[in-house]
Amino acid sequence: MKLKQKKSSTYISGLPWVLPALIFLIIIIYYSIFYTFELSTLDWNGLDPLRKSVGMANFTKMFKDKVFWRCLKNTVVYFAITFVIQNTLGFLFAAILHSQVKLPTVHKCIIFIPYILAPATMAPVFRLMFSPQGMLQSFFDTLHLGITVNWLANPNTALYVLMGIAIWEFTGMSFILYYAAMSQVDREVLEAARIDGAGNLRTLIYMVAPHCKGTTISLAMLGIIGALKTFDIPYLITTGGPNHATEFLGTYIYRQGIRQSHLGYAAALSVTLLVLAVIGALATNYANKGD
Amino acid sequence: MKKILALVLTLALTMAMLAGCGSSAPAATTAAAEPVTGNATSGEVVWWGWTPGSPTNEAYIAEFNKLYPDIKVTWKQTTIDDYDAALKPALANGQGVDAFEVSAGSANGGIAVFGGQAIDLEPAVKAALGDDWKDKLSESSVATMTVDGVLKGLGVGTVYAGNLWINQDLFDKYNVKIPTNMEEWKQACETFEANGIIGFVQGAGQGAFNMDTYHAICDNVQPGVFTKAARGEAEWTDPALVRGLELWKSLFDEGIMQEGALGLMQYPEANNLFMSQKAAMVMMGSWYTSNTLPDTMKAAIESASSTAEPFTMIPINFPDIAGTGNVGSMFGDLDYATAVSAKSENLEAATTFAVWLGTSQEGQQTIADSLNVVPSLKSATPNWDVVKLVNPEKQNAAVQEYLANATSGGDNPRFAAINADLNQAMMDVLAGVASGTMTAADGAAHLQEVSVDSRS
Repeated sequence: MKLKQKKSSTYISGLPWVLPALIFLIIIIYYSIFYTFELSTLDWNGLDPLRKSVGMANFTKMFKDKVFWRCLKNTVVYFAITFVIQNTLGFLFAAILHSQVKLPTVHKCIIFIPYILAPATMAPVFRLMFSPQGMLQSFFDTLHLGITVNWLANPNTALYVLMGIAIWEFTGMSFILYYAAMSQVDREVLEAARIDGAGNLRTLIYMVAPHCKGTTISLAMLGIIGALKTFDIPYLITTGGPNHATEFLGTYIYRQGIRQSHLGYAAALSVTLLVLAVIGALATNYANKGD
Repeated sequence: MKKILALVLTLALTMAMLAGCGSSAPAATTAAAEPVTGNATSGEVVWWGWTPGSPTNEAYIAEFNKLYPDIKVTWKQTTIDDYDAALKPALANGQGVDAFEVSAGSANGGIAVFGGQAIDLEPAVKAALGDDWKDKLSESSVATMTVDGVLKGLGVGTVYAGNLWINQDLFDKYNVKIPTNMEEWKQACETFEANGIIGFVQGAGQGAFNMDTYHAICDNVQPGVFTKAARGEAEWTDPALVRGLELWKSLFDEGIMQEGALGLMQYPEANNLFMSQKAAMVMMGSWYTSNTLPDTMKAAIESASSTAEPFTMIPINFPDIAGTGNVGSMFGDLDYATAVSAKSENLEAATTFAVWLGTSQEGQQTIADSLNVVPSLKSATPNWDVVKLVNPEKQNAAVQEYLANATSGGDNPRFAAINADLNQAMMDVLAGVASGTMTAADGAAHLQEVSVDSRS
């Protein structure tokens, strides 16, 4: 009983310290979430005084909306491919740079620089690069390869171009996290593995990779949330096209909420995005705990 | 216990306060108690918009300040794509917006969305032009800005589309015949391609311009059917409109549309290719006329990263690709109008500016001579003694005839009859049909479905 009272007292005495942050959090985040929930039950353009309540109709509409399902499919494909490739590359680069390579700082910078470049700055460069009149086409023409670069115009290839750009951009982030995780691996464990006859590959797969599991799960969580929030790269490079081939929830919410003034429907999509992000975070958290 | 109670109460109060903010009172959507007539001679006005862009807007303001030196107007420009996103919270907040640009139909700044935030401008126009004000302004500038019987914006100028612009110098250099039908268009493109130049360029990744091309094709197949369908008076599954989709697809299949068109934006990419003389033809409307002015064209060429000298560009009819003989159709609506925010603290000054820009002879003459849009005031026409084109010998007659044809096109709106849902559906269908992921018949059926749904 006494212990309980002490705990309660500690809890209350700590409250004033967290209260400003708590209020800030409530105002900025939780209120916005509740407000978005409220909006999702309305048929409203965001400006009219008339806000028509439609209950759950926006959610019903969403499940019948082919573009919504296209967004989800794109998100899953985008996450699966970018997660595997960028983390494999990040892991390998980190391993290589933990060995004796020349000019390690230069290499680290080269790998990390794409991550700090703003997508808005790079988007025109990529549009130019992948244009049929662009530099990649000129390069192929010089080599007489007979390849026509119209990949952004093709619904079957545009998404893969965006994935390539995302991998180029985010591999630096994976690399940095894996590099830090590998720094924590006990050297004696690695030496013991060597003495037992393990080669580079075996050591990497069976000794180093398990030590980096926490990092991989963190990257998976960031990757899931990042894929769900994907906006800048498709918006700036393909604007979600052609014909929604590169549409993601983020771009579709913007299209519905701003371009088409269906604020209620955009809010319903946002609520769904939030639910999916929470499920993704919980799933990766569960995977981490299951170890 | 008391502390917990205090905390809970604080949180509850915070939430209640915020909830109060959220369910805001109805916006001031109707006119102020006293009719606003725009009789101010001093004040400050913040004018939001996306077009025609600096420094032209500042030039308009400079002209305005010759008459109203004590009204300070500040031009706040956003990109065309960001306009709605930026303006909505600004208008909802009621701060920092006095006058703002609006457009007809489903384009950005659509009057259907933003009209609720604007005051009634009819008393001000009556005060400026008299009771017969409607006769003095173009029909489209009044009709498209009237929402539920209230004049919500004052049209500045109209733009028309339905034609191509060609680089006459390139046509002369390679001895290419100006195309009048599908075969000649194809032949022209092939000749240019053989000389390392794109024949026809379109940024088909930017849907609004695809709609222009489709509209032109439909008017070629059967004049008026597109507008009827847009108004719900005909079905999108009408054979003429399905034929239009098939012809649209054939532009890609026949090699008229350049390689990778669906991945290209009309602005800046297609525009830059034309302005840097890497493409010989482009689907642009009357707003492109300003590029026949040497200074404007020079700026456009420099924006396209080219150092070439201004060239001779002329407008031509959309080729008769349907083989019907129906050519020369032009469709248009207001490019932009000026609305006055109902929440503005400078209603009179903002109205004075809007009225000057949209109805005064001085303001509209400035608009006319810029050749950017066709002025709303009927009495304001380009002063051809003052306006000097790049190549007057080849351009003067062509441009004058073109503008005369555009303004006499009759009731054929560009976007005004198309709501936002239909607009999006049309962009989707045109991209789908062009890329081969949708048949013309399926596309037409989808348009009809959306058309019905969006009207119900």
